[in-house]
Amino acid sequence: MIKIKNLNHTYKYCSKAAVKNINLHIKNGENLVIIGSSGSGKSTLLKLINRLLESSAGSIFIGEDDILNVTAKKAEKIRGRIGMIFQNFNLIERDSVIKNVLNGRLRYLSDFDTIIGRFRKEDYFIARESLDIVGLAEYENKRIMDLSGGEKQRVAIARTLSQKPDIILADEPVSNLDPRLMREIMDLLKDICIKNGITLVTSLHFLDFAKRYGSRIVGLRDGEIVFDGKPDSLTDENILNIYGNGNNWHINANV
Amino acid sequence: MYNVVNLKLFLKQKYKGFLIGLFIVIVYYWAIDGTDISLFNFINGFPFMIDFFKRMFPPDFNNLGRFLIKAVETLQMAIVGSSLGALIALPLSFLAARNIAPNKFIYHIIRTIFDICRGVNEVVWGLIFVSMVGLGPFPGVLALTVHVTGALGRYFSESIETVNPEIIKAIISTGASKIQVIIRGIFPQVKPLFINYALYYLENNFRTATVLGLVGAGGIGMELLTSMRLFKNKEVLTILIIMVSMVLLIDRMSAYIRNKIIRVESFN
Repeated sequence: MIKIKNLNHTYKYCSKAAVKNINLHIKNGENLVIIGSSGSGKSTLLKLINRLLESSAGSIFIGEDDILNVTAKKAEKIRGRIGMIFQNFNLIERDSVIKNVLNGRLRYLSDFDTIIGRFRKEDYFIARESLDIVGLAEYENKRIMDLSGGEKQRVAIARTLSQKPDIILADEPVSNLDPRLMREIMDLLKDICIKNGITLVTSLHFLDFAKRYGSRIVGLRDGEIVFDGKPDSLTDENILNIYGNGNNWHINANV
Repeated sequence: MYNVVNLKLFLKQKYKGFLIGLFIVIVYYWAIDGTDISLFNFINGFPFMIDFFKRMFPPDFNNLGRFLIKAVETLQMAIVGSSLGALIALPLSFLAARNIAPNKFIYHIIRTIFDICRGVNEVVWGLIFVSMVGLGPFPGVLALTVHVTGALGRYFSESIETVNPEIIKAIISTGASKIQVIIRGIFPQVKPLFINYALYYLENNFRTATVLGLVGAGGIGMELLTSMRLFKNKEVLTILIIMVSMVLLIDRMSAYIRNKIIRVESFN
């Protein structure tokens, strides 16, 4: 369960708040999609949920703990339960697929074992199992730089899965992919989360995708929540309110 | 007032190129004047140079065995000096990288240490260590180690400052500790650069190690100095042939290692 109370964040060297007065309650196993134009605060909100950004006002409860107000060490522990998927995949390009996926197991490893590179048999087993789930079991020893965009995002999902997370935050996970791959990746992510009871919070730029994949939609405009409800309850007026007049939100999810 | 400003701007733009050109000419005139450069002396000196080379031929291979042993000693100095320097520089460089350093104080301290180590030439370090531990390869190794620590430390820390912060965020988001982020998020990104710099310094250090011999810090340089002082020009040529062959060999070997470890992408 994620409970966000009166959350505000302003970036250094920027006078305008990136997110303002956010109050949000996300239930376990929920599939929530955050929509909004570029710069509306989607990424900021996701990065705040696992405290990748510091110096914010308010609180974010992950279960019992307020991640914004615990020690750095405790924040690491909480982060371990939250997987994150990024728009640019953020993998180590020169390393092999398995090495990247094993990074998801770091929370279970001591610093000493990390320095000497000793992962347990169980870690390899779970990393391989995660690769199998995303359909890349044969790719274990390939280098990331030799993979396509869609394959890279699958590796990133496998890295997150090997963490065995309770929550997955996906920050525009399909923005760098073509429409066919967009659907493939979103289907995969949704299926995995439903099967494993993982709470999924995704930020998406395109409305059609949000409607198709989310069971609940939150619309952000200038850092504030301007819509929160089921996809079917989203009216044209709401859409206009979220995106403004620019018609930059449309892409056909059924391509 | 408006017109005066405009006139100033006009003059500034018109004469800007001329003033820059004039400045460059003055700097070069000053530098050349101070270095006694003389084409006349250069051309006149050719017969002496030819005579010097003539006296070197044919090379004298009588002491080849001894020279080869000393050349190997020089290589050993380069290997130990470069490796020790790289090993010391590696952990320190993380403390001297702006994006990782625990605080500004430590950052400045380590950076200053690197600058001192790097700023003093290897030969000067050689002289210092010869007076400290006596003649032989050991002071040479120390001189190389200190200089390489400074040079590689600086390069390593600057490479660390250029890593992709988004990848670091991805590793942090897995719940990794600070040390784990460094080992699994930062190090893999800078590893190819580190290997490149370390190999470059290995090549470089073999050449430097020969010079270190000239100040008594072991290796083939000491043989070169002895033969030159005794006017054994034919032996000097033998030593030069050994040195050049070994430099070429090391360059090829490190290029091979570099390609094996770091896959070089081809654009063909």
